[in-house]
Amino acid sequence: MIEITTPEVSWIAILPELVLALGAVGVLLVEVQWKPATRVLGAISAITLVIAIFFTFLQWAQAGDALEVGGLDELVAFSGMIVMDGFAVFGRFVLLVMAGLGLLAGWRLVERLNRRGAEAIALVLLATTGFSIMVASNNLVMMFLGLEIGSISLYILAGLTEEKTKADEAAMKYFLLGSFASAIFIYGVALLYAGTGQLEILAIRQFFTEFIVTRPAVILIGLALIIVGLGFKVSAAPFHSWAPDVYQGAPSGVVGYMAAMAKIAGFLAMARILLTAVPQLDDSWLPVIAGISALSMLVGSTIALVQSDVRRLLAYSGVAHAGFILTGIVGGATTGMLFYVTVYAIQLIGAFAVVAVVSGPSSSGSSIDEYRGLARRSPALGAAFAVLLLGMAGLPLTSGFVAKFGVFSEAWANGYGWLVIVALLASVISFAFYLRVIVAMYMDETEEEGIVVSLAARWVLTIAVAGTVLAGILPAPLIDLAADAFSL
Amino acid sequence: MAETILFVLMAIGALVGAVAIVAARNPVYSAMGLLGTLFSVAVLYVLQLAHLVAAVQVIVYAGAVLTLFLFVIMLIGVDKSEDWDEKLPYQRAFVGGLGGVIVLFAGALTVFGNFDWVPAATNTIPEATNGTIQAIAELLFTDWVLAFEATALLLTIAAAGAIGLAHHRREQA
Repeated sequence: MIEITTPEVSWIAILPELVLALGAVGVLLVEVQWKPATRVLGAISAITLVIAIFFTFLQWAQAGDALEVGGLDELVAFSGMIVMDGFAVFGRFVLLVMAGLGLLAGWRLVERLNRRGAEAIALVLLATTGFSIMVASNNLVMMFLGLEIGSISLYILAGLTEEKTKADEAAMKYFLLGSFASAIFIYGVALLYAGTGQLEILAIRQFFTEFIVTRPAVILIGLALIIVGLGFKVSAAPFHSWAPDVYQGAPSGVVGYMAAMAKIAGFLAMARILLTAVPQLDDSWLPVIAGISALSMLVGSTIALVQSDVRRLLAYSGVAHAGFILTGIVGGATTGMLFYVTVYAIQLIGAFAVVAVVSGPSSSGSSIDEYRGLARRSPALGAAFAVLLLGMAGLPLTSGFVAKFGVFSEAWANGYGWLVIVALLASVISFAFYLRVIVAMYMDETEEEGIVVSLAARWVLTIAVAGTVLAGILPAPLIDLAADAFSL
Repeated sequence: MAETILFVLMAIGALVGAVAIVAARNPVYSAMGLLGTLFSVAVLYVLQLAHLVAAVQVIVYAGAVLTLFLFVIMLIGVDKSEDWDEKLPYQRAFVGGLGGVIVLFAGALTVFGNFDWVPAATNTIPEATNGTIQAIAELLFTDWVLAFEATALLLTIAAAGAIGLAHHRREQA
């Protein structure tokens, strides 16, 4: 018999994930036992999300206290698996809010799926759990587990439609390419472990402060593979080729959620690894990230110019946005990046909520022709879409402008002037394709009748538009929050 | 000495199996090649004193995973001809060259005994207790308990996903 000393368990560090997982299982069990109306399941998931968000407030307060009065060590929980620093709590909070918005935006899809709606809701909650673990993990294996829990849920969500449609193809593509990316990521983790002997992110940083590595080849190859794996998840060029097909094929009710979650978690994980674990190696990775960033911006914004499908357009604009967000990491600070990721996620979910209204929640593909004269069919819907698109383009007085200004100035301050110039160029190009959609909505005639916007979609659009405008006019509170989101 | 001989035999076995997986035209032979590789690697684990990992390797991979592979192969049909066109030019040459470089690199490392490339690696023999069930259980239920529990979520996802994707699906309208 060996004596096992039970480890200290700090429940507060995982309470949001615990609540989410219980909520997901709860939804499945309630569905099996009582077969309630979909509304009941929606209420359960809403309560779950609210409780989880409440716990992130508690965590935020505790993290703030620890920063002020000391005791930062207490923020590392479960033998170094999970951290509860401001960065993780901020990420969790954003993920949870986006999960709520995503569920609202996809609500009509959930209703259409009938009895399988419960699975859709549970998968959304489980994906949120996974990505939440990912942004809070201090251990690369834990991060991989979170990544897989989140990604596998998303692969399935991409194929959840009531009929056999193009969504199957999208789900299969996403699954195969995503699995490759995950495998590349875990291979990178293995090499990083071989090189440093550590899996914990804080311990890896410690390793680099204590030792000077004379032959870092294995470590650098590992790091490169990690960047490739995460670059795929956030659809940065040249790892973006899956995004247009998946965005186009997957049911429009979930695309916004899918894209937003993968981007938030992917960028936060990348920032944690690069900026917290291996800041000493920045001579090696900064040029690489800057290159990926420049390529993403140029490829994304130029190919988006010639797209005739609104979803592919949004996918390529997402590639460009991945490049913009990466300039924040090149800047070496997380404030601008956190702000950008937050406001972009809201815009993305809002934009795909519009797509879901226009082309139906389980449709695949939305030609730009469907949007001609949309502003006449439903002035409010057209205006909301226009505001969201202009926000993505970065028009002053929208959140997109503040976000771009934030990350660009960080990159400029870090000596990457050329990257900022490329970014400005790409921003100008991006106005062209966003305006193309807006012109089609406002200038073109249409014979189509008015369009009915469901209550849930109205809520999502109201919140998304309000967020985009408010964060553009009064960005200070959100910027302060992002600045307080310290990383251990 | 016996260890070295066993290592060389099993290493050759693993490599032959691996080549057979990609070279065999009949998928059943590929699966058998995989079986050979998995068994050889299991023996290599035993040589590293990782007995539990070796046992898990045989039970999970050679037992469960490979059986699943064979099931799928049989369900699809062994005799179906496959499309052998290779879309990427020079893909064989490229992979072969890359593999060669890696083998040379690893060989050079071993010959020259230079472990600076992988600072964390040691060439000391691990303690005999490291691979035992108790040692692994202790780690799994203390330091790694959260990771252990998180994998449970994956099973939930698999169940929910299988039902969601397969159940009550209407054919294309």
